Amino acid sequence: MFSQFFGSYLLNEGLVTAQQLSKALEEKKNTRLKLGVLAINEKYMTAEQVEQVHNAQATMDKRFGDLAVEMGFITSKQLDELLSVQPSDYLLLGQTLVNDGVLTNSEFEKAINEYKTSHSLSDDDISDDQSAKLSNLISEFYHFETAENAKTYTAYLNLLFKNIIRFIGDDFTPLEASIIRDLDANYMVYQTVSGNLSCVTGVEAEKYQYVKFAGRFAHEELSEVDEYTHAAVGEFLNLHNGLFTVNLSNDFGVELNLDPQDYRDNEHVSYKKTAFCIPISFSFGIVNFIISI
Amino acid sequence: MPLSNISVMICDDSILVRKKLKDYISSLGVAAVYEAADGVQAVEFYKQFKPTVVFMDIVMPKKTGIEAVTEIIAFDKNAKIVMASSVGTQNHLKEALSAGAYEFLQKPISNEQIHKILEIVAKGVK
Repeated sequence: MFSQFFGSYLLNEGLVTAQQLSKALEEKKNTRLKLGVLAINEKYMTAEQVEQVHNAQATMDKRFGDLAVEMGFITSKQLDELLSVQPSDYLLLGQTLVNDGVLTNSEFEKAINEYKTSHSLSDDDISDDQSAKLSNLISEFYHFETAENAKTYTAYLNLLFKNIIRFIGDDFTPLEASIIRDLDANYMVYQTVSGNLSCVTGVEAEKYQYVKFAGRFAHEELSEVDEYTHAAVGEFLNLHNGLFTVNLSNDFGVELNLDPQDYRDNEHVSYKKTAFCIPISFSFGIVNFIISI
Repeated sequence: MPLSNISVMICDDSILVRKKLKDYISSLGVAAVYEAADGVQAVEFYKQFKPTVVFMDIVMPKKTGIEAVTEIIAFDKNAKIVMASSVGTQNHLKEALSAGAYEFLQKPISNEQIHKILEIVAKGVK
């Protein structure tokens, strides 16, 4: 159910050794994605069908894609689709491992399917009602920002809502977002994400709501704002930001870093760039999520 | 070797993460569980306690988990270090593996994952 980089998934499952993985991560940048791996990833072809085309290629001087269409495994429309696919980073890693002979096509097929099933939170996990609220909320961002930033905000918020459902609960209503330049923070955790894009993120609330939010995450009854309570809110933010960076690494090969989280009690906070404050109303009260990209 | 004969060190700057991990690992009957709150302590405590297995966060103050792994491996090349990070991006994975990490887990980590790793490590210890 969790986002995880494909490489560490293969390592955890014992499908590759640390050495094989290390080597493949090194070689990956020179790897060219082949149609067989792409077709398996899209579930257009099975590994067995890919092998059949490879075998046929041994006797005929034809391209993989044309043969796959001739043999009736894919349509020419699917072939065009595959040819225009942007190579995801995790697929390049898979291709490298297949090229190195670490994984066979059928081992790759099994691994990629299991990885996708067990490590993605599909839209089915979110109710229609919540989905509608989510898209309404997110669409507001399109009015505010450039297309490039809107895309990142959308990805960030989409994941944020999934993580709130996962770690805190689904008893919430997103309220209208606002643009802020500063904030009178009651209790707050913040964390900076740096790299190709840099953003400042935070979770802020009044004492009661802050403690309740922390308690939900920690699965404990908490009553005061102390180091432990801050650590609970901080770990939520850290997990969420971490999963966000993993998604970007997996899909686009964009590498970001996180700074350690920090805390503020009753302080005035100013932002250098425009920040969005997204209030979310839980059954125990309102918690503000702040992001500035 | 049974779990009651192994020792574990948890390195994480979050008091919450340390407590949750320690509670669970102790409940398995592990002999000793040590805690380090940053990379500097991690190296110090490793040298002092020589734990059987280490769970290491990456993003930590003073010294990152990757730097700590490098120093621990230089001290003991057979150290068994499991990276447990919220930032399981490919760069971190690559750096951790080349520093000598033994496993890499993306947070949040389930109790089952922890148990599985401890059983594997315990079996490997002669």
